[in-house]
Amino acid sequence: MACDRPTLSLSRLLDGALGPFARLRLKQHIAGCEDCAARLEELRAMQAVMRTKLPYHRAPPGLATRIGAALPRETPPAPSRAWFRWPAFGLAGTGLAGALAGVALTVLATGSQNGGHGGPMQMVIDSHIRSLQANHLTDLLTSDQHTVKPWLSARLDVSPPVRDLKDEGFPLIGGRLDYVDGHAAAAVVYQRARHVINLFAWASAGRDESFHADAKQGFNIVTWRRGGITYYAVSDVEADQLAEFAKLVAAG
Amino acid sequence: MPHDDRRRRFELLALPHLDAAYNLARWLAGNTADAEDVVQDAYLRAYRYFDAFQGGNFRVWLLTIVRNAFMTWVKENRSGRMVFVPDTPAGDTAESDETMWSSRPRDPEALLLESIDSQTLGRLIEQLPAEYREVLLLREVEELPYKEIATVTGVPIGTVMSRLSRARLALKKLWLRQAETEAAHGV
Repeated sequence: MACDRPTLSLSRLLDGALGPFARLRLKQHIAGCEDCAARLEELRAMQAVMRTKLPYHRAPPGLATRIGAALPRETPPAPSRAWFRWPAFGLAGTGLAGALAGVALTVLATGSQNGGHGGPMQMVIDSHIRSLQANHLTDLLTSDQHTVKPWLSARLDVSPPVRDLKDEGFPLIGGRLDYVDGHAAAAVVYQRARHVINLFAWASAGRDESFHADAKQGFNIVTWRRGGITYYAVSDVEADQLAEFAKLVAAG
Repeated sequence: MPHDDRRRRFELLALPHLDAAYNLARWLAGNTADAEDVVQDAYLRAYRYFDAFQGGNFRVWLLTIVRNAFMTWVKENRSGRMVFVPDTPAGDTAESDETMWSSRPRDPEALLLESIDSQTLGRLIEQLPAEYREVLLLREVEELPYKEIATVTGVPIGTVMSRLSRARLALKKLWLRQAETEAAHGV
């Protein structure tokens, strides 16, 4: 039987954009309406396909350079400061490394100003950004948790939980070694649609601490401590998805 | 603030979102050269108005500027060509769309939808009006909530909801037509 319930409400349900009461009512309706159930299934299929199959156009290599060159010129620096003027944006070849180093330098400066808790947060964001830009997302590219875990354990004094969360919508991409706030850290890399999630973990003494969510520079961060390991999850996925991710990791 | 600091702060915030900016511009403009122009213009604008950024989600702020830069570019380069079609009043063509949804056997269609390849999907998305394309991209690729899509596109949140719903129906319609054509040619 064709149902006259508009697609709009199914579309909102799909996006998690219905209030709790409306959601409950619609779900009850769908449970007894084949038509709506099938339409919702189709919407889900389309969404999944859009998220996994739509070609993603990355910026061409020269674009950052062109933009950097087009930005208004800076005031000439005082000679004594010349050593830390880095080329802006990714100039071809070595320039990219230079620009990234510039980012890192800024972050170090900011981190030391903030001190305390601002330090590691800024550093994991910085590391997250570098991992995206420098083609250095992973040292070990594999979705096999049984490879990533021993590889990290052999190189670090911590053994963070590594679990492929593919079925939960967060496939494991790989791992790499990192250095955050004076600690050798594991960076376990996950993906959510086209977004990358870096999960940083390092050994730290102290009581377990529950999840703490934050947002900075357009990135979401969730941090917690458990079993003598401090965790930072960083990504540009939406805050609720990152919170879900953190819970999955902590539950593992 | 010294010029150097301002610029470095800008790069620190803006550089990581270059791919997102480019992807949106590329899907809106339809080709590489124009997308590059739009993104470059957007970054220059963003730098100019950087002091007006009051915190919050920088990616959303930047994508809003990319979208505005695209609109300007359309006015200057494609004047006379309809890029954004006006929203259909509710209950107009929406009705025939609904009929299309409910007049077929269903489960096989969900399977059909899943079997599409990337290239075909990209071609179908390109056929959609830009206003549909942008809400789909912001929702499915950038995974923005409605409120932020409303910010980027400069329309009320209710319009975002209905546009997205219509965009999905329109995409599905193209999709089925495509599948029928393929079937007719024995692909």
